[in-house]
Amino acid sequence: MTARPDERLLDGPPMSPVRCRACGAAVRARKASWQQTSIQWSAEAVETCLERRASVPGDGPNGDLFPACEALRESIVRAALDGELPVPDDAGDG
Amino acid sequence: MTAAETERDGVRTIEAGAVPARFARGWHCLGLSERFKDGRPHTVDAFGAKLVVFRSGDGRLNVLDAYCRHMGGDLSRGTVKGDEIACPFHDWRWGGDGRCKKIPYARRVPLRARTSAWTTMDQDGMLFVWNDPEGNPPPPGVTIPRIEGATRDDWTDWVWHETLVAANCREVMDNVVDMAHFFYVHYSFPTYFKNVFEGHVATQIMKGLSRPDARPPAKEGRPGMLGNTSVAAYHGPSFMIDDLTYHYEGMDIDCVLINCHYPVDADSFVLQSGIIVQRNERLGSAGADEMAVRLGAFILKGFEQDVEIWKNKARVDNPLLCEEDGPVYQLRRWYEQFYVDAADVAPEMVERFEFELDTTRPVGAWKKEVEENLARRAAAGGGTA
Ligand code: FES
Ligand SMILES: [Fe+2]
Repeated sequence: MTARPDERLLDGPPMSPVRCRACGAAVRARKASWQQTSIQWSAEAVETCLERRASVPGDGPNGDLFPACEALRESIVRAALDGELPVPDDAGDG
Repeated sequence: MTAAETERDGVRTIEAGAVPARFARGWHCLGLSERFKDGRPHTVDAFGAKLVVFRSGDGRLNVLDAYCRHMGGDLSRGTVKGDEIACPFHDWRWGGDGRCKKIPYARRVPLRARTSAWTTMDQDGMLFVWNDPEGNPPPPGVTIPRIEGATRDDWTDWVWHETLVAANCREVMDNVVDMAHFFYVHYSFPTYFKNVFEGHVATQIMKGLSRPDARPPAKEGRPGMLGNTSVAAYHGPSFMIDDLTYHYEGMDIDCVLINCHYPVDADSFVLQSGIIVQRNERLGSAGADEMAVRLGAFILKGFEQDVEIWKNKARVDNPLLCEEDGPVYQLRRWYEQFYVDAADVAPEMVERFEFELDTTRPVGAWKKEVEENLARRAAAGGGTA
């Protein structure tokens, strides 16, 4: 039952390298639209992430969740705006 | 090439390999622990076997393979005698550690008189067993988080339900990433959706609106439900804790919802839901209990909606996805870690992955659909649904 590849990565934009401007962590990211983002971290990137290191567990049974790194989110937006990370055209919508 | 041929060549086929031959490594909840504490043995069909669950004299909950290694008697039809379970066939006494302690009619217990025993954990009112096909104990850090409300007076007791489902348990896992089905199957209305997978934890963060077209208007004097905020995480392959807040007019209701299962065999599993509700001034003490019962029934209905889909659907290893679907393949890659030997867990199965879904398009389409449903209801002289 080996997991298969996600065909959306072949038919649409692939995962592309992005670096966090705050800590330098190297991840792979993909934008399916301006609002839709996938991020593939490596163990090394997780260790590098400053916000991750500074985060404290929240309340509740799922309090250990680290929901997102804001600096990385901004870095991905910048990469998209600078054209380094492709964002599919909305023109074909519908 | 004719048009028909071209079309034929482009036909998408559904592919599905055999269901896995082994059962997931991890903690599995067998239900509320209280029901196993009556001093009698209980039968549980799980992990392709028949298990006996019993509380020994020392107060511990024990789980053993039910079939006695002597001549195959069913220990779950036996009797608890002191710290051991006694087989109904010839009274061999088995301890919670899986060893035969005594044979009343024999001078000594033979070598090799050992059966399979599962590591158990009685936590927050629930009985857990550790399943590992390789037979190793749970590694440190692989735990089920404590649920504070479960032992607190300002929260209700568990309202618990279980259902036997005739499908492989991968179907229930897919729900973690399946945003759209919440609208079509469960009549809820997701507006925000994100997944995070990391280590042995898979999380779904969801915000949603309530569906005025799917429920009768709130009863006189009862606040209407506006929506919900949910952070739900699978801690391992089978136990999901959902930190869930229902937003009502003028108040929030905090709940913890459990959505868990254990496999019976490769083609069926027992699906369980549990809910506790925090008491607050608006609800009152009795109000919270009533709310827990009502929400419990509501969640059970949600399960029934899933089950109706599962029992008629095909198993699909190659789902065809649009961009507005969640990360099904990445979830399955994460889930795979529980089905391989611990030494074969690959980095990509456990490395952190985030997926935030753009809900613009679905929300737009669903708003329109809700309005149309309401208009249709109004035209039919409804509102009295
Ligand atoms: S079969 Fe269990 S004691 Fe004989
Ligand atoms: Fe569902």
